[in-house]
Amino acid sequence: MFVLTMYVMLLTLDDYKPTYQDRLATPGMMIRPKGNALEISYNSEDTESWDLYVQALDNFLAPYNESQQIMNNKDCTPNTYFIQEDAGEIRNNPKRSCQFNRTVLGNCSGINDRYYGYPDGQPCVLIKLNRVIGMLPGKDDQSPYVTCGAKVNYSQPLVAVKFLNVTYNADINVECKINSLAIANPTSDRDKFAGRVSFKLRINKN
Amino acid sequence: DSYGMFVEMDKMDGEMDVQIKKKKKIKKKERLENMKKEMDIDDHEITIEELEMKYTTSVTKGLTTNMAQQVLERDGPNELKPPKGTPEYVKFARQLAGGLQCLMWLYLAITLIAVVVQALVIRDGQKNQINANMLVVGDLVEIKGGDRVPADIRIISAQGCKTRSPECTHENPLETRNIAFFSTTCLEGVATGVIINTGDRTIIGRIASLASGVGNEKTPIAIEIEHFVDIIAGLAIFFGFTFFVVAMFIGYAFLEAMIFFMAIVVAYVPEGLLATVTVCLSLTAKRLARKNCVVKNLEAVETLGSTSVICSDKTGTLTQNRMTVAHLWFDNMIHAADTTEDQSGQSFDQSSETWRALARVAGLCNRAIFKPGQDTVPIPKTLSRYLAKADRQPQPKMAQLGLIYLLVMKGAPERILERCSTILIKGQELPLDEQWKEAFQTAYMDLGGLGERVLGFCHIYLNEKEYPRGYRFDTDEMNFPTSGLCFAGLISMIDPPRATVPDAVMKCRTAGIRVVMVTGDHPITAKAIAANVGIISEGSETVEDIANRLRIPVEQVNKRDARACVINGGQLKDMSSDELDENLRCHPEMVFARTSPQQKLIIVESCQRLGSIVAVTGDGVNDSPALKKADIGIAMGIAGSDAAKNAADMILLDDNFASIVTGVEQGRLIFDNLKKSIAYTLTKNIPELTPYLIYITVSVPLPLGCITILFIELATDIFPSVSLAYEKAESDIMHLKPRNPRKDRLVNEALAVYSYFQIGAIQSFAGFTDYFTAMAQEGWFPLLCVGLRSQWEDVHLQDLQDSYGQEWTFSQRLYQEYTCYTVFFVSIEICQISDVLIRKTRRLSVFQQGFFRNKVLVTAIVFQLCLGNLLCYCPGMPNIFNFMPIR
Repeated sequence: MFVLTMYVMLLTLDDYKPTYQDRLATPGMMIRPKGNALEISYNSEDTESWDLYVQALDNFLAPYNESQQIMNNKDCTPNTYFIQEDAGEIRNNPKRSCQFNRTVLGNCSGINDRYYGYPDGQPCVLIKLNRVIGMLPGKDDQSPYVTCGAKVNYSQPLVAVKFLNVTYNADINVECKINSLAIANPTSDRDKFAGRVSFKLRINKN
Repeated sequence: DSYGMFVEMDKMDGEMDVQIKKKKKIKKKERLENMKKEMDIDDHEITIEELEMKYTTSVTKGLTTNMAQQVLERDGPNELKPPKGTPEYVKFARQLAGGLQCLMWLYLAITLIAVVVQALVIRDGQKNQINANMLVVGDLVEIKGGDRVPADIRIISAQGCKTRSPECTHENPLETRNIAFFSTTCLEGVATGVIINTGDRTIIGRIASLASGVGNEKTPIAIEIEHFVDIIAGLAIFFGFTFFVVAMFIGYAFLEAMIFFMAIVVAYVPEGLLATVTVCLSLTAKRLARKNCVVKNLEAVETLGSTSVICSDKTGTLTQNRMTVAHLWFDNMIHAADTTEDQSGQSFDQSSETWRALARVAGLCNRAIFKPGQDTVPIPKTLSRYLAKADRQPQPKMAQLGLIYLLVMKGAPERILERCSTILIKGQELPLDEQWKEAFQTAYMDLGGLGERVLGFCHIYLNEKEYPRGYRFDTDEMNFPTSGLCFAGLISMIDPPRATVPDAVMKCRTAGIRVVMVTGDHPITAKAIAANVGIISEGSETVEDIANRLRIPVEQVNKRDARACVINGGQLKDMSSDELDENLRCHPEMVFARTSPQQKLIIVESCQRLGSIVAVTGDGVNDSPALKKADIGIAMGIAGSDAAKNAADMILLDDNFASIVTGVEQGRLIFDNLKKSIAYTLTKNIPELTPYLIYITVSVPLPLGCITILFIELATDIFPSVSLAYEKAESDIMHLKPRNPRKDRLVNEALAVYSYFQIGAIQSFAGFTDYFTAMAQEGWFPLLCVGLRSQWEDVHLQDLQDSYGQEWTFSQRLYQEYTCYTVFFVSIEICQISDVLIRKTRRLSVFQQGFFRNKVLVTAIVFQLCLGNLLCYCPGMPNIFNFMPIR
């Protein structure tokens, strides 16, 4: 009986788009590398202390290689939404997303600087917006991204932050916020990760 | 000695070695057994010289001060030990622990106020005024009008001393005139006497300590709830342990598994149950109060419903407690008078001349007065009522009748007859020959056999010449004729049964409740009243009746043939407890006459040994031990003494036996309704528990939170479960046998299994279906949920992917979890609404019982829905109570 009701319930669900997205009005934000409890702390002279972060970034950026992006995603026009409507009964699935090349990230792409500036005390931190299906984030001068249908090979747009002048041996609390007209600006909401992200940065130097 | 024992008993409450405790218990038991035995007092029979010897005292000089001091040290002070109560601080602690019953805080306010009584004592030949508690056995004391008798006293010399008849003696075999009892009041006169008993060894003291020594029996509902708690606790620990093992097996850390174990046990406790039970009982208590039953102890309400034996007092409870003329004999005929309370019945033919004469004699020979507002009541009617409590000593009285005097006299019939030479028949004075005397005897025996008190009346017109106007009659010198009078007739009186009683006794009978009469009255009177009210039903015979009918000796009668049985105190004294049990077993209709307080207790105990739930009614101090021992003690509100009211669980404001029957009905109803309420309350335990179990075993995100559970238990479900208490009786509950306390439990396995594993399971499935639907619709497919727990609850994981690849922050997931709580909550609520309709009836169908007959229940359902909506959709709820608006 229970199994039957569950089965019937599952039949009513869409394969590609959730029925409701009540909880996801404001997408969450997240940083890479994630570190322990959103804390990036290392000693610039101690290779082992930052090597982890570099590896994490390498892994994270791997799908953003140009070859991968061209293979999977479409090159879209900047500043327009790439919307793939279903044509009536024929579902337009799987959907494709726009290309986001690693090269866009410049110094933080890991192509020129293999270590993302970590040994120099100028670390790169990538900020990503949580994926939410059907979200139209609005235009943003910094982020030429468009969302589209769910895809296995979807890679989110990223923003890179490079800290150029960091005081050594001190905790730096960083809060990044998304500025957009379409995304409700969370001000006093309890969710510290909706449309913003805070993390701590500490670079030690002997 | 006994004082020491009391001290020890008091200490028993403290923490003492178990072994010592056991010893004490045996001691205590022995002491109680002693108490129950009849008191042997011979002090009123021995001579004063012997008395002096016995107490080494002197009737002129009293004790020496030294001696008194010694005795005081030996016996302790002359005061009643306050009843062995739990120390106040323990009660306080218990209340704190027990919660809820705030009413009991009142106990704290109750303290005993001791009043110091002074007594005039003669010691060393000197009169001294000392505190009554310093008195000792052997002391010579003086009492005068207005004093409270300070101890049991053997009166040595007295001048017109009268004490108010103590409450304990009218049913006490010790009928003597030279003993004044402790705590009675000397009304007038002066007396000197030797103290024979002090403190707790006085008659009153013994009764009081018997009452306090008799443990309060646990009420059946308390037993039921204990039984129920056992079941719950057993199941909780079983479940807890099973899942503890499962958790350990799955690979949780020991500590984590331990927390799970505790959480399950706690989740299993039906938090709302106690509130429900208390409210249900209070409701009934309130309803009973309107019907003149004040319930002191809430649990007593239900006890009344399971009562299977009622030991009822006669005077005042079954009867009107006033002597009323029942029969008259004149003109060689027995006439029946109207004994109803409001004189509405048929009266006899009052046209005879003899009646007029008899009425005149009776009217003149009594001290009745008209109460205000009774001026218009016809005299014969008032007359028949106020002949009460007449002396049986012949009392001549004079009355002026025009120019001549009329001498009227009433008294014991045989004594009156002795003084008569003529008899009044149809207004004619006929010579009193053997034939009339025989007729008189027959009538006297007949009336006596009815258990009535018979009085004879006679008169004589005095000669005008011998006794002219203004003649001074002197009753001491008897300067008037006291023989050769004219016999007018007999009037017999009885304390008639209350009009409602026979009906009530009948109802008890159909309800399978046995009514046993226990009275201090004479066996014949007791039997007559018992037959009158139906305690001894028509056609039932006692062993003696059968013997009479068959003209065989009593010994040859088969005891089992006799349905009825009248046992008097004397017989009871010689009976072993087994014999008494045997008697109670084989005679369904029992009357105990001439019983003492101790015997009342023995009877109650015997009934309890036979497995009955016993209700006892009583009014006097002497009844308090039995009232306390009984499963439910019922005190009389009007006639009852404070001691009786204290010992009782319930008070009948109108002293009417019929009120008990109402009580029984309500008690049975509440048991039925409590069963429904509890079943209803229990059911939701399962859908509250399973989310947690699934959470542990399958590691899904938690479907139902603690706060939500508390809301179900204490907010939304309270009203419907209480509303079941308003449910009307399904069938005629007064035609069923009383429940068998051993078989018909409040919560039995069948009910638990049905609640838990059928309805509970259905509710759980409903909850989970909704839970998984809510999750899936937001993007978390059931299969993904499985095993998701640790990631789901990871505070640092801000981008957990759902089935669609969407990423969720922790906070978003938390609110999603709250949504699940709410969804689960709503499922349980909806299921519970149908559950309350299921529980509404146990035997009939809902349609037979009527959907809307219980208005409270309908209101409760509406209330539940409104509250549910409020919780879900009121702004601010998500953050305060973890409720989310759902679609």
